[in-house]
Amino acid sequence: MTDAAPVAGSPFGGFLLRRTPLGRLVTQVARLRASVHQKLLAAFLLITLLFIVMGTLSLQSLAQISRQNVLMHEAHERVDWSLQAEKTFALQMNFTAMALLRRDEASIEHILRENNRFSETLSQIEQAAPPEERGIIQRIRAAQDRAVDTVADIANLVRDDRIDAARVLQLQTQYPLYQEIQGLIDQVVAAERARMDALRLAMESENRHAARSLALRGFGAVLLAVLLGFVISWSFILPVRQAHDFLGQVAKGDFSGRMTVPNRDEFGELAARMNQMSAELARLYEHQRQSAAELQALNHKLEAASRAKSEFLANMSHELRTPMNAILGFLEMMLDEIYGDVPEHFKEPLRDVQTNGKHLLRLINDVLDLSKIEAGRMELSLAEYSPRDVVDTVRASLQSLAAEKGLEFATSVAADVPAALGDGKRITQCVMNLAGNALKFTKDGRVDILVERDGESLIYRVRDTGLGIPQAQLGHIFEEFRQVDATITREYGGTGLGLTITKTFVEMHGGRIWVESEPGRGSTFSFSVPLRVREGQP
Amino acid sequence: MSGKTILYVEDNEFNRKIVRDLLARTTYRLIEAFDGEEGVTRALAERPDLILMDIQLPKMSGIDATRRLRAEPSTAATPIIVITSFALSGDDQKARDAGATGYMAKPYSPRDLLQQIRTLLPEA
Repeated sequence: MTDAAPVAGSPFGGFLLRRTPLGRLVTQVARLRASVHQKLLAAFLLITLLFIVMGTLSLQSLAQISRQNVLMHEAHERVDWSLQAEKTFALQMNFTAMALLRRDEASIEHILRENNRFSETLSQIEQAAPPEERGIIQRIRAAQDRAVDTVADIANLVRDDRIDAARVLQLQTQYPLYQEIQGLIDQVVAAERARMDALRLAMESENRHAARSLALRGFGAVLLAVLLGFVISWSFILPVRQAHDFLGQVAKGDFSGRMTVPNRDEFGELAARMNQMSAELARLYEHQRQSAAELQALNHKLEAASRAKSEFLANMSHELRTPMNAILGFLEMMLDEIYGDVPEHFKEPLRDVQTNGKHLLRLINDVLDLSKIEAGRMELSLAEYSPRDVVDTVRASLQSLAAEKGLEFATSVAADVPAALGDGKRITQCVMNLAGNALKFTKDGRVDILVERDGESLIYRVRDTGLGIPQAQLGHIFEEFRQVDATITREYGGTGLGLTITKTFVEMHGGRIWVESEPGRGSTFSFSVPLRVREGQP
Repeated sequence: MSGKTILYVEDNEFNRKIVRDLLARTTYRLIEAFDGEEGVTRALAERPDLILMDIQLPKMSGIDATRRLRAEPSTAATPIIVITSFALSGDDQKARDAGATGYMAKPYSPRDLLQQIRTLLPEA
């Protein structure tokens, strides 16, 4: 899993995987028997959970701060109220003095109103005060009660116009009460201020603490998320990279490798499939290689067999023609009376032997030619040739046959026919075959050989006034061993190979052959070949 | 007999007999060889006026023998008729390339052969 290859290109990731326990963790995550979908879901849920926890902790801190703020606010309120009470009491004192000076009901009213306000404020303080302050407040209230009584006495004295007595009462009782209450309120204020200071200090320290722990937790959460991301992503990346390298090898035709990933998820299945694929490819490759080797061996054998066949053909050609040469040679010399006079009654059978010998020779030549064609060994030897020479050669060879049958035999080469490029011998053979057939199948009338130029082609025609060919036979007249019917073969001889061989030679020249015929009136066999056959053209 | 000498190089007895019989009633003198090597040796030793060379011979082919004789000053100008078995397989071209004066395709007509000999080497 932590092989060097799959982490190439990620130096930091590779370092972490190899040098830290993260590598093992990645392996373990890969080994988890859970789908990729489940793993990803779990990872995201885990990260979400982390953030929820972080949020909750932050909310708690905020609640704490807000609680302390409330306390602070309450303390402030109490200080305000205390100061207000103090002020109210001072006003009370002030109005008492005013009453003593002005001796009117309005001032007395003011005193009483301030007195009531003081009582209300004191109640508020008392309600809000923490328990330890209640003692002081009760003392304030006691002082206030006495002050109320004193104020009432002073008011009565003022109404009775006993100003001196009132002044005495004010100076001797109310003023010391004021001082007492002032002292007590100062105590409350001092206590509240002290509480506020403590609270402020506590809040500051708590805020610092909260910020620190929040930062720490935040950092931890981010680290955990990154770690989780690292582990989960590498548990996927490693098999993907391994697959990449593995497929690269396979693509290069190396099937020796195997995917070994610890994953038990979709990547594990994928790796197993890829191993299967590789094994199958290796098997197919091996199979194909063996087949190719077998085919090659077979090919060698076939080539050897083909060579043997060609050699056999060449030998046969020689072996068959050598005795034929002797037979026909001796016959000709006998008929030429080189061995002395030949009795007249011997001459006809000797000529029959000669005719049949020549026919046998033609058969041998045709069969050998066809064998060569079928073996793909037939090649043209291209050279300049004269179409006139071709026609002359054919006429010279067949003239005696035509004369024997009493047929007119004429040749005609158009004036504009130039020298041509092709295999003159093969062309001669073609014309010879066609003309030989024409003479063979014509009982009376004539056979004509015509050559004309048609643009860049030469057209050779052999026209006869013979049997003609039934329409139904025209289609496969050029197939091997075809003659119009078997009787004809017996009556006229021939192998039925001549037309096939002729067609092959014409096509090897890049030309075509066709026939027009009317039964009973004669046939015209024609073939056209390029005037100048280019090397390798057909 | 002070006729002109013809060397016939041929391994087949019947073919040799044909030429032997063919030339028996002429003034030509026939000497024979059975394979390519012997053909070259006799040609160089006896300087015939014309050579008939079969193409397929033991030891050395008619083509090689012709080439050898053309390379020798004493036989460079001697007319050589190569007798080929494969009239249609380009042997005639090979024979010409080797330096043959003429060629006959087997099976040949003795009459034609005699005519070609007489053309190249008129009887005295």
